[in-house]
Amino acid sequence: MIGELLTGAIRSGTSVLYASAGELIAERAGVINLGTEGAMVAGALGGFAVTVWTGNPWLGALGGGICGALLSSVHALLVVWRGANQLASGLTVMFFGLGLTAFFGRSFVSASVEGFNPVAIPGLSNLPWIGPILFRHDPLTYLSYILVPAVWFVLSRTRLGIVLRATGEREEVVFSQGFSPRLIRTFAVITGGFLAGVGGVQLSVAFTHAWVEGMTAGRGIVAAALVIFAAWKPFRCMAGAYLFGCAQSLQLVLQSRGADVSPFLLFMLPYVLTLAVLFLVERRRQSRIPEELGRVFSGPGGG
Amino acid sequence: MSNLQKSDPPLITRTAVAPRALPIFRHAGSGLRRLCRMAAVTVTPLVLFALFLLLVGVRPFEIYVAMLRSSFGDAYGFGEVIVKSTPILLTALATALPARAGLINVGGEGQLAIGALFTAAGAVYWISEWPGWAGIPVLAVVGAFGGAMWAAIAAALKQYGGMNETITTLLMNYVALYTVGYFVHGALKDPASFNWPFSPSISDSLRLPVVAGTRIHIGIPIALFFATMAWWLLSRTRFGFHLRAVGGNPVAAELAGLPVTRLQIGVLIAAGALAGLAGMIEITGIEGRLRPTTGATYGYLGFLAAWMARNDPLRCVGTAFLIGAITVAGNALEISSGLPASSMHILLSIVLLAILASGRRERA
Repeated sequence: MIGELLTGAIRSGTSVLYASAGELIAERAGVINLGTEGAMVAGALGGFAVTVWTGNPWLGALGGGICGALLSSVHALLVVWRGANQLASGLTVMFFGLGLTAFFGRSFVSASVEGFNPVAIPGLSNLPWIGPILFRHDPLTYLSYILVPAVWFVLSRTRLGIVLRATGEREEVVFSQGFSPRLIRTFAVITGGFLAGVGGVQLSVAFTHAWVEGMTAGRGIVAAALVIFAAWKPFRCMAGAYLFGCAQSLQLVLQSRGADVSPFLLFMLPYVLTLAVLFLVERRRQSRIPEELGRVFSGPGGG
Repeated sequence: MSNLQKSDPPLITRTAVAPRALPIFRHAGSGLRRLCRMAAVTVTPLVLFALFLLLVGVRPFEIYVAMLRSSFGDAYGFGEVIVKSTPILLTALATALPARAGLINVGGEGQLAIGALFTAAGAVYWISEWPGWAGIPVLAVVGAFGGAMWAAIAAALKQYGGMNETITTLLMNYVALYTVGYFVHGALKDPASFNWPFSPSISDSLRLPVVAGTRIHIGIPIALFFATMAWWLLSRTRFGFHLRAVGGNPVAAELAGLPVTRLQIGVLIAAGALAGLAGMIEITGIEGRLRPTTGATYGYLGFLAAWMARNDPLRCVGTAFLIGAITVAGNALEISSGLPASSMHILLSIVLLAILASGRRERA
């Protein structure tokens, strides 16, 4: 039962993991992007459509990522170049993404794809206990195992990462070093959108193998919340995403065992859990928020 | 508050290094320039949406004409616009009031749903036999209480956990959706519904009085009353001044001795009450029973209306009406020309994107 639960946690947590890794990059550069929800749903549809057309899920992943990046570039344009309120702009981009996908997704509602399927990694998947949990997943999940350390490495060990983080802390320092904070932020937001798009692809092409209108159901918002929970650290994002996935898979596990719990209580569990862990973490300490981002949260309605 | 130290020293360097226009100059353009800008913000989204329609193979001009005709062409369409605008106006106020105090409430959706849930539960199980003159006001209080309670959760999370209300109210929307689902599939389900998920219908005496022959009900003057109240409160009272001070510069407001947290929490709960009232009006004025989808999207549309109105309560009346008209037109188009209602959400988001791109909002 525990093994089943954890396998499910990774399966349904991966899409959130991609999105929150992307959101983390943007927030480290000082931009909160609630449009992650829109980027995810755009990626879910875009990736699904490309997979239907080409039959190749890898092209689908790329296409979905590009859709997410395109949608996020709207947010980057408004926030970085036009000085719009970050939270309001993100929400509008989210509505935009939901509207666009509802419109273009109609013809894909009944389509089905082969997509990504679980591949057992030879050797590793036969390890006792952790083998089935960690190493019998779809390729995008394996990629996400590498993605998180990669994000950590780039952010904390490379020049690019330092400049990006500095943009999130003190933009005038970056400016005085001859970089453009605006370009860096734009880059960070679009990269984050790409990753959120790939997360959407994981949802539609690898997890459910179907497109449903609004199928992300707030996962992008959860991803943004998890970044705060993770105190802007990649590995904690991973833990948060799997925690969310765990709550989701609990619903499937309990239902498959015919437990007498209302499905609606189980549906709301991941959201309540996200709120609860965020509450506990925020209460325990003042988390280390990037300074420019802190201005968004505490300033007059953001901006 | 931790932002006391945070924004202290770098302010001077910031204006020197990062070239952001000072607010004084931003709106100092001549009247003509402002007019041009307003025209650009209005026309650009329409043109962009027209391009989008061309791209998907529909003739934009015909669509725009059909939209106008379905919303304003006859008394029925116009009545529908009014009916749709009412909850949108209330949820818009539920966004605009906190926004003036520097809070972004995206929870109108959930607050409305819980207000509707409380109203339906009250009307079915508690005061089902009451006459209208007593029952309707009680239901209004019950619905507003439900919404206020839902917003109070977000307010408490902000107060005791320092959690940003944008994220909590958004997440609470999903919780509210499933809470309503839980009750209409369970305790509130109509025993005579053959397993359809909805509540029993409320008694006729508890329905809002309507203008004969239309669906226009007394919820409309109530919503207009609250819009006027919100305007009066914000611009003519000391409380409103304090709210705007908190929204303008929370640090200065705190230094001036204003109870910043208390004001923000109060306004968030009041906003929840307004959205909850919208839920009550949907139940007693339109639907007559609770369904899983009662009031869906009104919260988000209200958010769009408020930001289009730059969070000014009186302008919200206009934008709520506009969004109501676009929604009605969208439903009509879905039937007549097969253009899905979601295309109207695209149009609305483009409008708001244009407004956001046109520069920072004005502040009173």
